[in-house]
Amino acid sequence: MSYFNLGVSFAFVPLLAGVYNLIPKKARPVLLLISSLGFFFVISRFLIAFLLLSVVSIYLIALKLSALDGKRDEVLKTAEKGGKKEIKEKYKKYKRLWVALGVAINVSCLVAFKYLNFFGMNIYGLLNVFGADLEFKPFTFAAPIGISFYTLQALAYILDVYNGRVKADKNILKVALFLSFFPQIMEGPIVRYGDTAGALYAGERVTYRNFCFGYQRILYGFLKKFIIADRLNYLVNNVFDNYTRFSGTAVAIGVIGYTVMLYTEFSGTMDVVIGIGEVFGIKIPENFRQPFFSKNISEFWMRWHISLGLWFKDFIFYPVSLSKMGKKITSVMRKKLGNQYGPLVGGSIALAAVWFLNGLWHGAGYTFLFYGLYQFIMILSGNLFEPLVKKICAVLHINRENIVYRVFQSVKMTLLVFVGELFFYAKTVPQGFKMLGRIFTSVKFSGKEILSLGMDKNDYLIVFIALVFIFVVGILKEKNINIREEISKKNIAVRWLIYYILILSIILFGAYGPGYVPVEPIYADF
Amino acid sequence: MERLIEILEELNPDVDYNTVENLIDGRYLDSLKILSLIAEIEDEFDVEIPTVEIIPANFNSAKSMWDLIERLKDDE
Repeated sequence: MSYFNLGVSFAFVPLLAGVYNLIPKKARPVLLLISSLGFFFVISRFLIAFLLLSVVSIYLIALKLSALDGKRDEVLKTAEKGGKKEIKEKYKKYKRLWVALGVAINVSCLVAFKYLNFFGMNIYGLLNVFGADLEFKPFTFAAPIGISFYTLQALAYILDVYNGRVKADKNILKVALFLSFFPQIMEGPIVRYGDTAGALYAGERVTYRNFCFGYQRILYGFLKKFIIADRLNYLVNNVFDNYTRFSGTAVAIGVIGYTVMLYTEFSGTMDVVIGIGEVFGIKIPENFRQPFFSKNISEFWMRWHISLGLWFKDFIFYPVSLSKMGKKITSVMRKKLGNQYGPLVGGSIALAAVWFLNGLWHGAGYTFLFYGLYQFIMILSGNLFEPLVKKICAVLHINRENIVYRVFQSVKMTLLVFVGELFFYAKTVPQGFKMLGRIFTSVKFSGKEILSLGMDKNDYLIVFIALVFIFVVGILKEKNINIREEISKKNIAVRWLIYYILILSIILFGAYGPGYVPVEPIYADF
Repeated sequence: MERLIEILEELNPDVDYNTVENLIDGRYLDSLKILSLIAEIEDEFDVEIPTVEIIPANFNSAKSMWDLIERLKDDE
């Protein structure tokens, strides 16, 4: 099942929107909830119990936290001035225990489904090094769909309630809908309670404008996936599976192809997800913001899978770097190393934790851990070399805001991203190194070979034109030009002409039928 | 407020802190600079900034940072 399934996007969603408008406002969120749970059940059957466990646990714990806050405030009212701090500390401790329980329940489900085999294999391997003769039999159960995504959302909710960022909701249906809303359940974005819960439960009717705007966005996602990602899929897998048989140039094409495929598949899915949200008047936060226009890797991660980056920033980076120990390190190091490098020491410990967990979140495997390590090193070196680069630019009189320099930065950044994604998709870390080595050692250019990888001349041309189109849309978005708003101002003939061109180009240039293998939803596996 | 602006100028001198209102969203201050800034503010103004207060709205301008410091002082 995927959001690119025509039945889901072009039958289920419009039908649901129709029924949604027919029923009373109060019943609409209930309809969304039933549809969402139904959607989950169709994919994961009785594993829905784990989603419900998550809902119930965060709902009850949030209420408990809120009750403790209330009780504390009551006690504080009558307390003497000197004892207030003690009371606050006491209640903070209670709250921490409850949050820990919530985190333990939700994280243990995630670990059980995603990491048991990986940890088991490594523990057995380690024991075998010490002479034990054990054979690890991997578990073969499937995980509930979207568990990596909804678990982070669930954790964010209780942590936000704990921190006072949001209020505990007394309505369990609202909490359930927030966690299980069907467009987001498979691949995110990982939204926060304050972002969507209100709109999800408001039950505003589907308007003609929202419906049109939503479907424009959905079509744009289909264009990315059907015209580009599906066309590249066979070539990419062919190169990654058989890289020893190909020249370095062909491997490079496969590697670039993978990043393009990953971007168009994942950001295309987000277009569909956000588009479905828009149909129902729900503003799901953006997960991509023209990532390839970034100046460096650090900025790239603020523009690619934004919701995951923000989650790690709020719940790992700042809590680690601003913990008592973190603050102490920063303060000592600033005195020793100054403002440029001082905070980098404490900051990089937090950053290492972020990238270790980020790698692990994507999957239980060494390629993902290596991928995290690679991103960490790239971001750290960017910070270390920044003063040097600044000096060199000053000596050479290079204006860093100049368009030529900006393009140079983006190209350099994109090349670094290609390398990171190569390790992300390689079967093993050594394979990643071998492929990377091959790019530089087996430099041959043969048109015949390039056309034998899995795409013919027309395929390359179509991918190129579609990428130029996405690039132009990206530039307009960077300039804050709202393309869809502009389209909506045109008269009906022009508007429908644009829609027809979009639909026709997906039908005509989409890569489906014999000879093509559609990409499975990549992020749904994480 | 003047002392706060001095601290900010030490971190990134290329910004006019009296007028810019998108220090975070405009990427003038990244996460590492925020760590420095927090350490400095806590030392200088004797407040403790909890992690929940580290949101763009509190750090987008010198004025909003000042408001945060004042608020934290009142809370104590």
